[in-house]
Amino acid sequence: MRTISARLCFPLVLGFLMIGMPGCSKKAVQSGGDTQSSQQGMGKASDGMNASASDGSRSGPSTNFPDTSLSGRDASNGLRGLDKNPSEERIGGGGTLLAKADPGSAGRQLEEIRAEQTASAAAGLRDVFFAYDSFSISEEGRQALARDVDWVRANPSAQLKIEGHCDERGTSAYNLVLGEKRAKAVRNYLVELGVGANRLGVVSYGKERPFCNEHAESCYSQNRRGHVVVKTGK
Amino acid sequence: MTFRTAAFISVCTTLLLIWILESGAADVFLEATRPDFQKIPLGVAGIQNNGGPDWLGGRIEEVLKADVRRSLVFSLVDLPSVGIKVSDLGPGPDPAFKQAGEHGVSVIVWGKASMKSSEKDKDSDIHMDGFVYDAGSDEVVGGKRYVGSSSVARLMAHRFADELVFRYTGEPGIARTKVAYVSEQGSARELFVMDYDGYDARQLTADGFLNLMPRWSPDRRFLVFTAYRNRNTQDIDMIELATGKRWTIVSLGGLNITPALSPDGNFLAFASSYEGNSELYRLDTRTKAMQRLTTNASGDLSPSWSPSGRELAFTSDRSGGPQVFLMSGDGSNVRRLTFEGDYNAAPAWSPRGNWIAYVCRTPKKEYKLCVITPDGQKRVQLTMGPGVDDSPSWSPDGRHIVFSSTADGKSQIYMINADGKDLERITFTGTHNSAPTWSPAS
Repeated sequence: MRTISARLCFPLVLGFLMIGMPGCSKKAVQSGGDTQSSQQGMGKASDGMNASASDGSRSGPSTNFPDTSLSGRDASNGLRGLDKNPSEERIGGGGTLLAKADPGSAGRQLEEIRAEQTASAAAGLRDVFFAYDSFSISEEGRQALARDVDWVRANPSAQLKIEGHCDERGTSAYNLVLGEKRAKAVRNYLVELGVGANRLGVVSYGKERPFCNEHAESCYSQNRRGHVVVKTGK
Repeated sequence: MTFRTAAFISVCTTLLLIWILESGAADVFLEATRPDFQKIPLGVAGIQNNGGPDWLGGRIEEVLKADVRRSLVFSLVDLPSVGIKVSDLGPGPDPAFKQAGEHGVSVIVWGKASMKSSEKDKDSDIHMDGFVYDAGSDEVVGGKRYVGSSSVARLMAHRFADELVFRYTGEPGIARTKVAYVSEQGSARELFVMDYDGYDARQLTADGFLNLMPRWSPDRRFLVFTAYRNRNTQDIDMIELATGKRWTIVSLGGLNITPALSPDGNFLAFASSYEGNSELYRLDTRTKAMQRLTTNASGDLSPSWSPSGRELAFTSDRSGGPQVFLMSGDGSNVRRLTFEGDYNAAPAWSPRGNWIAYVCRTPKKEYKLCVITPDGQKRVQLTMGPGVDDSPSWSPDGRHIVFSSTADGKSQIYMINADGKDLERITFTGTHNSAPTWSPAS
């Protein structure tokens, strides 16, 4: 986490210095940031511009949001038509069209995920499981969360993150919304039990980080989950 | 045929032509997938190897035939089966071609491919000549000469196929289009881009976490997609394909998903939950002004632009389960489109305007592909059987839909014709490939 933040923050700070805007504080947004104004969001959108500018590339808003329209482009779609005496056309490789991905940061990400998993396993926090299509917390779920609250009280400096997960049925997109509803249902119940909302972040992973991969209800029920984890890093 | 029938037909043809011309301004276009569209019979006489590696001619011929078949503009005729045997393929028309014309074959293409014998190492150039014989005029109407490294053999075939489609329809063809998608790498999901036929996959992101639901820019130089910052918050990022350079364009906190650029590139529609629950917003990409399009206590997501850019289809669960709705691009005139079934989501508006594809849940709780007309009058279920189908995306010619499905176990990518025929799997490796999105025509 730290390395990624540093990587992001360095060009951001440079960008801010260049155009005289205040600090890097906006970057440290919590996942439950429901109260931010749209101005802030767009401000961060322009952070991207500054990050690009400080990479030594073009500056200005066009770098942040380039003109992606078709205006001014060759209307013939690159085709030259058949010809009775065709001249030779050189075909460029597909390799010039696409950059090669740099797999550098994947390893760091994996380390951070492991750290989070280790801390959460040590805490012994319990998860909430949901019915098909549902984001309401069952009696069993309430009991699990009541026990989690004991740990939260005993560890007053700990921050929790609630991950909303879904089974593979349904669309990727809608499951992200459903996952967020599940995560927020868990957060709201923990707040009801007296946990400070500022200690609880929510994030939805939809059906993108399943706990198991079989096409069976025994697996689906594992994946319909509000996963309570100890937040490590930022 | 009586004179009266002939007159009737000519009046009908004129009316049809007027309709074609007028409909150019609207969102509905005449399409080659109409049931009465007559495909043009085309035969591939062969791509002869003129001194190159053994695979060369055969590879180009195989790719060309597949492209011709998928164009849906031509019907691929197997020449030997109609009694046409071509012994030697020169630049002039073979005497047998005229005979093929009499058998109803309208177009015959052939060619030769070579790699100079002195440069048989892997990096040397290949040459391809392609010729097109038109039976209507009984002559070779033209050809193409291509040169490039041996790695572009498939691209030569794709390009030649698109030239054929262009020659006979004026459309650019889809053989050079690409599909962006999400592929599982370990526990991460990264963006990839491949040719429309599933070949030549290349990895675009490698940040080790989740990169989801890519969409192309109209000029196909960029993708917009959902990425997770610090694994805790979704942002909408943009990546430039040629350089791999990537930056954040929307970072509001909460869920920021399903970005979609308008066909003119002037607006980015997306869903964000930063004001509480998932709502739709529209960002003016020039002024950076953001407008909220939906206001209710339910989830609104998955915007898809009509080809005119005037309307959006989207998913909303305001009436209980998710359903597909339509609205104007400014958020006005909202109306529900789907009423059959209790789960309809992930709409994709055809580039021809006449259909909206989406994921429909059947009474047996299977998630399949459906298409519906924008007026809701006609609905067709395209896929059947087990497996979760997801993320339909149209080819730029509006004749195919690419989508993901778990029909064969793991999630893989498939394409299907807009009429439900020719289901074809296009990814075969990896543990999970999903969220395909078809590029605009080049």
